[in-house]
Amino acid sequence: MRILPPKIWRNKDTHYALSASVCEKCGNVIFPARASCNKCGSFKVKLVKLSGKGTLLSFTKSHQIRTGYEKESPVYFGLIRLDEGIEILAPLVDVDDDPKDGSRVEATIRRLRVDSSNGLIEYGTKFRLIENE
Amino acid sequence: MTDAYVSGASMIKVDKYYESNAIDLAIAAVSQLEDQLTTKKPDMLFLANAYSESTEEQVLLANKLARTLGYEIPAFRVESGDSSGGSAIYSAYLAVKSGIAKSVLVVGTEKLSDFPTSHLNDIISQNLDEEFSYRSGVVPQAYAAIQMKMYMKEYGVPREYFAEWPYHMHKYASENPFAYLKFPVEKEAILSSQIVSEPLRLFDTAARSDGASAVLITNHEIGKKISETPVKIEGVEMFTSHFDYRQLKAVQGALKPWREFRPDFYEIHDSYSVTAAMILEELGLERGKSLYMLDQIQVNYSGGLKARGYPGGATGVYQVAEGFMQLAGIFKGKRVRDANRGLVISADELGSVAITIGLSR
Repeated sequence: MRILPPKIWRNKDTHYALSASVCEKCGNVIFPARASCNKCGSFKVKLVKLSGKGTLLSFTKSHQIRTGYEKESPVYFGLIRLDEGIEILAPLVDVDDDPKDGSRVEATIRRLRVDSSNGLIEYGTKFRLIENE
Repeated sequence: MTDAYVSGASMIKVDKYYESNAIDLAIAAVSQLEDQLTTKKPDMLFLANAYSESTEEQVLLANKLARTLGYEIPAFRVESGDSSGGSAIYSAYLAVKSGIAKSVLVVGTEKLSDFPTSHLNDIISQNLDEEFSYRSGVVPQAYAAIQMKMYMKEYGVPREYFAEWPYHMHKYASENPFAYLKFPVEKEAILSSQIVSEPLRLFDTAARSDGASAVLITNHEIGKKISETPVKIEGVEMFTSHFDYRQLKAVQGALKPWREFRPDFYEIHDSYSVTAAMILEELGLERGKSLYMLDQIQVNYSGGLKARGYPGGATGVYQVAEGFMQLAGIFKGKRVRDANRGLVISADELGSVAITIGLSR
């Protein structure tokens, strides 16, 4: 068994709500959310929900396959600057041709992988292009 | 404080060893130091290995190696991803510097050849954060690919620029009997190799393989006793940071104390061609031009991760062993001219940890 329910459960805020933490001392945004600030070391952080909207800074079309993600190959990974100012690398979906740098993108929940042995499905965040904003 | 010396080093050829496990490979490397180890039994053992839980389904490796060698000494496994080797050297250096140990055996061992690519990609992806990146199916190669695109844009270099690195690494490796990919390649072959993650191609990535290397770190007194050519460790520095597409902050931090050192040669951790370029530029070569200046710097005469091969967490131990052999004048591959000082840069997959080790004879 590769997909374990407790692991999906404890990541629900990260993957289903894009939760981050914001440092109350220096304002730094930390994603995935943590109980400490990775910039100033303060433990005074609060949880916030990210908007899920951002701008595509760059991307790569990857032919590297990971066990469990075989059906996805090749996959586009995008470097996204979220509107809250942080940069994340995430899979892009519904992209057939190379996207344009500077495109607007938004988070969407999609299937990540399926456990072949007992049928558990793991869902999580990917990003798609926004047509009209 | 006592000074620390590299007083012996050995390695096996980086290769695929289907018939051996990680302990077997470690013993093959250590057995070459038999004379020195018989003269002075080590006081401690540090074992560098990054991925044994996943690759060997094994833990407690340091104890198992110590017991196999017949030692009842403190034995630690050091895990810091692909910088495990440098971290283990650092640990041994601290033990000797402090006077707690007089002689420390450092062994790096790793097995990456037993698996299909998809499984190995999964293991290497454990270097990424668990909650978001690992679970999203991201692969480290995607970070390097985007880093490469940003570099090309920033400096206006063509794709061909990056072929310089694998071209030179293969040329050097073709002289190194311990190298995994011991053959030269033409630039056309590099530029038409399989696409890994656009624009990154196969020859821009490190050659994953099996390997083991051993290094003896001792104080001066024992160094003189067991070696004709003990090599002084001038210092070890370590810096940890976040991954950054635009700069290698950890490498910058770990290089800062070495400004006056002026090494004659380097062994650097070239996970990707773009990583090599960025490290060379931290060493002082012109930004956006470093890969065209490889005849001006003596770097990775081993062949680097690219062609000597990349045995995971054992890599840093190989680098220090190669540095020792260059300074002792016993390296079996391409020799450094006027080798008096060398600098090793051990790092993790994406360069968020860096350890610098200065060696002199």
